[in-house]
Amino acid sequence: MTMAQSALRIGEVIEASSTTWITGAYQLLNAPAFGSLIQATCHASDLLIYGLVYDIRTGSREPGGRAMVRGGRRYDGSEHYDAAIYDEHPDLTAVLQTEWSALIVGYERAGRIVHYLPPQPPTVHYSVYACDDLAVRRFTAQCDFFRIVLSTTVVPADDLLGTAIRYASALQADRREYELCAGRELARFLRDDYDRLRTILRMLTV
Amino acid sequence: MALDFNSVGQQIRQMSSTLRSSVDDRQSRVDRALSVLAAESSNWQHWADQTLQAYKKSPWLLAAPAEPLNSVYDRPRCPATYTLVAVDGSQIDLDRHGSAECFLINLGLVFLRYGSEPTCQLRTQPQLFYRDDEITLRDANGRQYTMAGGLVHAERDTREGIALAQLATSVADGSPCVAMQDGTLIRWSLSALEPWLQDHFLSRYLQQGLQELQSSGVALCSYISRPRAPEITGLLRLIADPELTESQRATPLADPYHGVNDFQIFARLLADGQRSALFRSLSKINVERYAEHTIYFFYLNVNREIVRIELPEWAATNAQHLELIHAVAYDQAQRGAGYPVALARAHEQAVVREADRRVFRQMLQEALWHSRLSDGGSLKADSKEWQRV
Repeated sequence: MTMAQSALRIGEVIEASSTTWITGAYQLLNAPAFGSLIQATCHASDLLIYGLVYDIRTGSREPGGRAMVRGGRRYDGSEHYDAAIYDEHPDLTAVLQTEWSALIVGYERAGRIVHYLPPQPPTVHYSVYACDDLAVRRFTAQCDFFRIVLSTTVVPADDLLGTAIRYASALQADRREYELCAGRELARFLRDDYDRLRTILRMLTV
Repeated sequence: MALDFNSVGQQIRQMSSTLRSSVDDRQSRVDRALSVLAAESSNWQHWADQTLQAYKKSPWLLAAPAEPLNSVYDRPRCPATYTLVAVDGSQIDLDRHGSAECFLINLGLVFLRYGSEPTCQLRTQPQLFYRDDEITLRDANGRQYTMAGGLVHAERDTREGIALAQLATSVADGSPCVAMQDGTLIRWSLSALEPWLQDHFLSRYLQQGLQELQSSGVALCSYISRPRAPEITGLLRLIADPELTESQRATPLADPYHGVNDFQIFARLLADGQRSALFRSLSKINVERYAEHTIYFFYLNVNREIVRIELPEWAATNAQHLELIHAVAYDQAQRGAGYPVALARAHEQAVVREADRRVFRQMLQEALWHSRLSDGGSLKADSKEWQRV
C-alpha cells in the first residue's frame, strides 16, 4: 500500500455481486462524482476491480429510517439552514451514511487491464479507492468497456457512459482524437439504434 | 390462538368512557392542589421538617421541599459550547430453557460536543456473562442467588452508572459538561431485594458510579419522560393530614388527590422552559442509603410535555450545575424534537432487537455444538417455536 493509494481510499465495499457493488463512504457526503472511475480490492489480493459510479445516496443507517426536516428557527431565536444544521446536530454524522453503487466495467490482474467482468466480485469490507488521472487514462485507453455499460439494464446506462467518456477524454493528451475514437466505437456498438447513439454523442460535447 | 379483538374492543370502549368521566373530577382536585401549594409555599421549611419526620410511617411517597413550594424558575441561557455524555443499556436475560446459562448486557455510550468544534461519538459495549461466579451470587452465609430477571436488570443499572462515570471522567476538561441517564437515579427496584443483594448492587453503583461522577466535576442528571410519580401529591396529602391520622383508621378515607400525579399539577404551573422548585425524594432507599448522593428532583416544561429531572445533592446544591442541567435538558429536548438527542442515540446503540436476539441464540447454539457441549434447548422452548397441528 503506497501513500498515494491510502490518500485515495474513500470507503469500503458493503455489498457486492459479479456485476455491481455498493460502497459505504468513510466521510459523510463525500462521494465521487457520478460516472467517475473507482477501484475496489478483493481477498484474491492480485485482483483490482474497476467500476463506474452511479446512484449516489445519503440516508439513515437504520433500515427504513428517514431524515426529518431540521432547518428553521430554534427556540433561542437562532436560524439554522444547510451546513449549520450539521454543526448544530453533530450526531448526524454518526447516524447518516453516504453510499453509492458502481457498475463493474473491468479488472486488473498482474498489471494487465481487462474489459470483462472479473472472476470474483470485490470483497465486502475491503477498501474502495478513487482513481487518479493516470489510472483513468490507463483503464480508458481502450474502449471495450463500453459494451458492458451499454448492455446493462440496472442503471441509466447512456448517461453513465456519456459522462465516463467525457471525464476520460478530458485527461487524454489528444482529446479530439480520443473523442473520435470513442465515437467510432459507439457507432459500432449502436449501429442499429441511431437515436441512442445521437444522445450519447451529444453528451460528449457538453 | 390470536387475541379475540371482538371481545377486547368492547372492553376498550367501556374503558374509554369510564376514563372520560374521571377527567373532570381530576381537574377540580388539581385546582385544589395548586391553591394549597400557593398557600403553603412560604412554609416550605416547616414542611421539609414534617416530611422528614413522617416519611418512615407514611403509607404513601413523600418529597421534602428544598425551595418555596410553588416557585418557578425561567430557563437559563444555554452555553453555546457544551459536552454531553449519556449511557443506556439493554440485556438478553438468562434463558432457563436455552442451551447454556448466560446473559448479555449491551451498553450504548454517547459523547456529544456542541459549539465551536461539534463532535459525536457513538459506541456499544456488549458483555457476555457466563462464568459460575457471574451467573450465581453467593452471600457470606453461602446462600445462592441466580442472576436472572430482576437481578440481571439490577446489574445492568449498576453497570450503566459505572460506565457513565468512566465516560464522564474521560471527557471532563472543566468546560460545561452534563452526564445524562434515562429514567430514575433512585434504585427503587432494589428496595424489594434481600439486604445482602441490595448492598451488592447499590454499593458499587454509589462508589464507582455516583462518587466518581462527583469527583469528575461533571453535572449529573436523569431525564424522565412522562413521569408518573406522586411524591408532590404525597406532600399535599401530608399537608391535609399532618398527623397521618387518616392512614391509621381501619378504613382510610378517600385520598383527596386521588388520580392526581405530580406532572398534572406542574403542567398547570410551569410555562415553556420553566422548572419547578427542587424537592428531595424521601423514598427509604434514597434517604437511608444514598448519603451525600441523595437524589433531588424538579419538574421541567420542555414545551411538549412535563418531564422530571433527577439530580444528586451535590449537583442540586451547586448553582452552576443546577442551571446547566436545566438549560441542557431543555436544549436537548428541543434538538431531539421532544426527547433528548443524547438519550435517543444511547438507546439506539444499546437496544437489542428480536432479530439480534435470534442471531445471538443461533451463534450460541453453533458455538456450543462445535465444542460438543450442546444438548439443545428445552422441549418447552421448542414447543413455543412451532404450533403442532
